[in-house]
Amino acid sequence: MKLTRRTAKVAAFATISALALTACTGGGGSGGGGGEKATEENKPEQLTVAAWMDFPPELLASFEEEYGIKVAVESFPDGASAQTVLRNGLSSGGAGLSDVHLIELDWWTEMMAAPEDWVELPEVPDRWVDWKVKQGSVDGVMTGYGTDIGPLGVAFNQEMTSAAGVATDPEVFGEFIGGDAATWESFLDAGRAYVATSDNYFIDSLSSAFQAAINLLPAAFEDPESGDPYNIADNAEVKELFMTFADAAADGVSAGIPIGHADWGAGFQNRQWATVVTPAWMTGIIADNADGIEGWRLSSTFPDGGGNWGGSFFSVPSTGENTGWAVKLADYLTSPEAAVQWFHETGQFPSQVDAIASPDIAETENEFYGGQRLGQVYGDLASAAGDSAAGGFRGENFAGIQSLVTDGISLVESGGATPEEAWESVVSDFDALGFETAD
Amino acid sequence: MATDTLATAAPRTARRVGWGQRLSRWDIKVSPYLYISPFFIVFAVFGAFPLVFNVVVALHDWHRRSGMGDFVGLDNFAWVLRQPLFWRSLENTFSIFLWGGIPQLVLALVIASILDQNLRARTFWRMSVLIPFVVMPVATSMIFGQVYGQFGLLVPNLHDLGLFTEYSSPFFQDRQLSHIAIGSMVIFRWTGYNALIFLAAMQAVPRDLYEAATVDGAGRVRQFFSVTIPGIRPTLIFVILTMTIGGLEIFDEARMFDGGGTGGGTGGADNQWTTVVLYLYNLGFGDWQDRLGQAAAVGWIFAVIILALSLLNILFTRVIASSDSGTKRLPRSLRKASTLRSEAKQSAQATDAVEGDHR
Repeated sequence: MKLTRRTAKVAAFATISALALTACTGGGGSGGGGGEKATEENKPEQLTVAAWMDFPPELLASFEEEYGIKVAVESFPDGASAQTVLRNGLSSGGAGLSDVHLIELDWWTEMMAAPEDWVELPEVPDRWVDWKVKQGSVDGVMTGYGTDIGPLGVAFNQEMTSAAGVATDPEVFGEFIGGDAATWESFLDAGRAYVATSDNYFIDSLSSAFQAAINLLPAAFEDPESGDPYNIADNAEVKELFMTFADAAADGVSAGIPIGHADWGAGFQNRQWATVVTPAWMTGIIADNADGIEGWRLSSTFPDGGGNWGGSFFSVPSTGENTGWAVKLADYLTSPEAAVQWFHETGQFPSQVDAIASPDIAETENEFYGGQRLGQVYGDLASAAGDSAAGGFRGENFAGIQSLVTDGISLVESGGATPEEAWESVVSDFDALGFETAD
Repeated sequence: MATDTLATAAPRTARRVGWGQRLSRWDIKVSPYLYISPFFIVFAVFGAFPLVFNVVVALHDWHRRSGMGDFVGLDNFAWVLRQPLFWRSLENTFSIFLWGGIPQLVLALVIASILDQNLRARTFWRMSVLIPFVVMPVATSMIFGQVYGQFGLLVPNLHDLGLFTEYSSPFFQDRQLSHIAIGSMVIFRWTGYNALIFLAAMQAVPRDLYEAATVDGAGRVRQFFSVTIPGIRPTLIFVILTMTIGGLEIFDEARMFDGGGTGGGTGGADNQWTTVVLYLYNLGFGDWQDRLGQAAAVGWIFAVIILALSLLNILFTRVIASSDSGTKRLPRSLRKASTLRSEAKQSAQATDAVEGDHR
């Protein structure tokens, strides 16, 4: 307890004095722009890259071989902790930042609030799908090279669904949740039918499914014109969606344990839920957590025609010392070849056009998912979702308001509130923040 | 010039002061300050400066990226006091403090009095109670997070007993239960530490008091309450005071309790276990709010609350201490106090005897 106080003080001091420094120098840094050129003279011995997923080992080795620069990966356990370090580094004039940073779509807008913090990246024509380039640009200037995208599918446990008598294979499961005309209502009704005949839950958590549904709204929480949040009490669209999911939560469709929760891994091992809303990058994570559990498969049917959850970018902070070579590294790490290697390593689905088309993606069979060709399934899901997968408008407060609202769903899942009470608590939490609202 | 000064100085000084001697005089005057300066320099940089700077931050609109904004006076304080979440976090903090503090105190006392006995392999046992203290708080909370998890050590058994049926792990959902769980981490980590402090104090209680008590026919329990507890009263008060201050600042355990969750360790979906310091962190450095000014205000409000509590504690201490005249003047050195007391007793007996003789 005493230690806590001291560390908190040290951290506060470091941040605050750093803030004071930035305030004095007025931002400083090279202030965006193209960054320096990568030449033999300014070649560093080592570059650092901050990320939270596994790197294909050959990838870094071949970069070192080609340029004679070592690459050290600063590894984080999850995106949130990488985000904290990046945020504090940016607000303290670049202290403690790596040469290249991985940024997740969910907090991209917040990090890009000051575009001069980032090096303008040279365009690489025809590498990515259009909407990924658009997401990775601020005011038409590219500041992030896309890595993966997160087309959405539903992973389900074939053994559990057939034991409950509702589905024996991906085809039947797709029909069970609504087939081609699947909506969130039909998906949740299927959940109700499932829990009626089974003693485990239909889905790990509805808060993550809800998040996927929100991603598809054109302007969920904020006015695209001004960037100000809408008053949540008057936001009929979000409220309707909230009630749909909250009612299902009240009916006991979900276990209420989202990814990241202390119980999530144990839930797989104890066969507590039969389905998980699964963006491509999650397939590897599920395979790790459900290690030794048979029967997980991927359905190519998704409510409301699919969508996108997450997907990241490599960006170069402009305060770095080796921006020229850092850009080179970011470019290298997002090449179609690198994307293919990453797909094999972690299951991340590429955003690079050539990689998507590569037979290496579509034809690889995944052992954990019973030999299914995940690349093909996600490829179909991505093309079905099309440009709408880019999602709606996200302002600076998008992620925050979203967690406020998904907390409301968790509240119902835990039995702590009825759907109406939970919505009221969301509204009062929102009001307490005292935003200037758009309407 | 040199001869000049010497010439004018010569008549006044009785003897010449050599360089070496002057140096050694400075040594005596200056060195002590130099020796103790590291503490004050470190304190000034890491203690005093942030405290003062915090006032500046609390009075301004302040954001991470843009830094200092407009001067807003006490608006930040008013904003914080209007937040229901601030009051909720204050409640949580006190509740966790009580769940963690009281059992911890009792346990530490019991363990210390056991260690105070003539045990075999005494040093081994004394060392071993400190082991939990060495474990990092974050590691502790991750391990305990597993214990209280749906498939941890506890919940399945309690399920089997029919106690919990509603939802997965009630420790992550129910407000009171989450406080108990976090309190248990505090107990795990700090009991041994406090037990050793108590032990040190108990060792200083004169053995002849126990012998006298045994002669008088008092059992172990009676001895504990009538000899040990009064004997270590100043230490008890010291521990309660530091425990109050430290316990209210709880952060790591609460932040890491449910493994972070998707919300990122903000203290539960309904903020069931958001403590004041966690609330402060969420406001200023957490996921998205970016309200450093308001966070600084929380810090100040909380500091005032802790100060007030400590003052209350001291007043309370005075009351207890004055009920026993022996420890009133010299609460720091128990041994001295107790020898004084026994001396006083002896002299009182002596005067009694003398007076008796006179009578």
